[in-house]
Amino acid sequence: MIKEIIMPKLGETMEEGYIVSWKKNEGDKVEKGDVLFEVMSDKTNFEVEALHDGYLIRKLYEPSEEPIPVTTVIGYTSDNPEEKAPDAATAAEALKPEVKKEEPQAEGGIPPSPKEGESEMTGRVKASPLAKKTAQEAGIDISLVAGSGPGGRIEKKDVLEYMEAKGVQGKAAESAEYTIHEWTPLRKIIAKRLAESKREIPHYYFQGKFISDGIVNIREQKKKQGVELTYTDFLIFTAARAIKEYPLINARLINGEIRVYQAVGIGLAVSVEQGLVVPVLRDCEKKDIAQISEERKRIVEKARANRLSEEDMKNAGFVISNLGMYGVENFQPIISPPGTAIMGVGKLGKEMAVIGDKPEVKWITSVSFSFDHRVIDGSYAGLFYKRFKELFENPAII
Amino acid sequence: MREITYRQALNEALIEEMERDPDVFLLGEDIAVYGGAYGVTADLWKKYGDERVLDTPISENAIVGVGLGAALTGMRPVAEIMYIDFIGLCLEQLNNQVAKIRYMFGGKCTVPLTIRTEGGAGRTLGAHHSQSLESWLIHIPGIKVVMPATPYDAKGLLKSSIRENNPVVFIEHKMLYNAKGGVPEGEYTIPIGAAEIKREGSDVTLITYSKMLFACMEAANILEKEGISAEIVDLRTLLPMDMDTVIKSLEKTGRAAIVEEDCKTGGTGAEITAQIMEKAFDWLDGPVIRVAGEDVPMPKSPVLEKMAVPDVNKICAAARKLIKG
Repeated sequence: MIKEIIMPKLGETMEEGYIVSWKKNEGDKVEKGDVLFEVMSDKTNFEVEALHDGYLIRKLYEPSEEPIPVTTVIGYTSDNPEEKAPDAATAAEALKPEVKKEEPQAEGGIPPSPKEGESEMTGRVKASPLAKKTAQEAGIDISLVAGSGPGGRIEKKDVLEYMEAKGVQGKAAESAEYTIHEWTPLRKIIAKRLAESKREIPHYYFQGKFISDGIVNIREQKKKQGVELTYTDFLIFTAARAIKEYPLINARLINGEIRVYQAVGIGLAVSVEQGLVVPVLRDCEKKDIAQISEERKRIVEKARANRLSEEDMKNAGFVISNLGMYGVENFQPIISPPGTAIMGVGKLGKEMAVIGDKPEVKWITSVSFSFDHRVIDGSYAGLFYKRFKELFENPAII
Repeated sequence: MREITYRQALNEALIEEMERDPDVFLLGEDIAVYGGAYGVTADLWKKYGDERVLDTPISENAIVGVGLGAALTGMRPVAEIMYIDFIGLCLEQLNNQVAKIRYMFGGKCTVPLTIRTEGGAGRTLGAHHSQSLESWLIHIPGIKVVMPATPYDAKGLLKSSIRENNPVVFIEHKMLYNAKGGVPEGEYTIPIGAAEIKREGSDVTLITYSKMLFACMEAANILEKEGISAEIVDLRTLLPMDMDTVIKSLEKTGRAAIVEEDCKTGGTGAEITAQIMEKAFDWLDGPVIRVAGEDVPMPKSPVLEKMAVPDVNKICAAARKLIKG
């Protein structure tokens, strides 16, 4: 019996995913729990396991940089390796059971007729290595291309003709004036999510300065004891305490609901080679500064090694993005949905401050915040800001 | 540029290197008084005398062994093996001693020995004097194997081979000795291990060496009239093999035919094909094919001999098959 393989929904905000690779070939025996394919979504890679024993009889999509909506049927398994799998058009139709049979066109369907170059036994497409490479670079499903080579083999020129016919942009030629960088799937996800955030979320911004002498002193003391803490560790620690008192900051807006979570998970914007990721430090309100520091080190290392799982990144609430090390005074970060607040940390340096009536040289951290006005109003955010500042400037309180 | 024969180009290279370096000397069967079976060493004995141009007994093993000994003691010998068909007689010296000794003594000695020989079919000399055995030799780490096609390459590569501090087997082709080509006056060398694009094209790469270069050039002219643009890579050196040039060409054409005179099975083309698969798979727009010698002892009959080696028609047919299926 044929079973569908679908693009899974791996998180509440996931709407589409990319197939990174198939781990099985058509015709391969598959046991329940075997990894079938790898999906990328929301910046993580996730290995999807088979739900049933049987055989992978058909792949409808090849790995590409084109997003596939969640629940789309992307292939079939069956307990009978000889069983004929429906083609993609039928799959598309199956999603729309109301469509009348008389209508010949399945919407969004893919030409289903098997071609000369396609093996009827295995469904494998006969294409030259260069044709496959060209198609992959252009993000084209090569099974849609008609082959004109010997025995119906798809060759490079067939792919190029297909691209021209469909108006698919191939790799533009490099010119002397500029070089071309690939717009990678990760970058596309970043672009999509952040554009959506800026478009949908009414942002408003705070700017301020935290006197940081207390933190600087504690850090020095700890250093002498051989404990290396970063300013980010202190910020995460303090934020968690302030959020515990102002829980709305820890809200996520999901499916029209404002969900206020008990546990304080704080996202940390980490720059990696390919772009930007936001792993989450869980249960920060329960952890002391040393535990937070450990956890931060672990998760940043994991991010840099490109080993973050969906679990590591899902459900970020409050996010901290630190650009202080670059000497940045201030910036207005974009909220990372479904979270509703984000903190931008600028540089830490000595500045003149008026203490009482006298000017004094103090360690100052420049900070900024962006809030989602749909969830948090300015006065509430103001109270949170005030408490955050108080805790940070007087670490002795905590 | 003046035109001289392949034979003259080689003769000039020997003279120039003997003038340049008093340690260079020649040894081989009938190379002195007679001037060599194919006349490459003509008049050199008269010019340089018994000390530098030595006739040897008919013992290939001794020729190579003496050459190795002389090389180890600081000379720069050029030994001639009259036919590559006899290379088996000296494989012990070549394979186990010449190729290994520098390595086994931790680099304490060098082996600046050049072994000149010639091979190939075309003179109806039969199964004992017409073979192409280069693929045996590229299986021996420790030596270099050079196979020039043009007079220009022959001269420049022979000079480089003589100056090379590692052993070189320099394989000429008996049908090329009278072929003429442009060779400039004066000093030049060609590096060992560098292939050359002998003709530029965009549809298919013909990878070849030695005499088959000329069959490929002729085939490319015919193919051009049919709208197939063939690029020709002349390997010139088989060991080390310049795969960079081959792959660069494949990146352009996506298709390769290897044209070789040696027997197909286990031949040089098999090695080239495997390297293309390993290093340039993604650039291939079709299978690699070989146009090679038949797997038969070389026939004595002139008609059958022609059939046993690649020719222009076979090369054209292969190129058409690659493009049109």
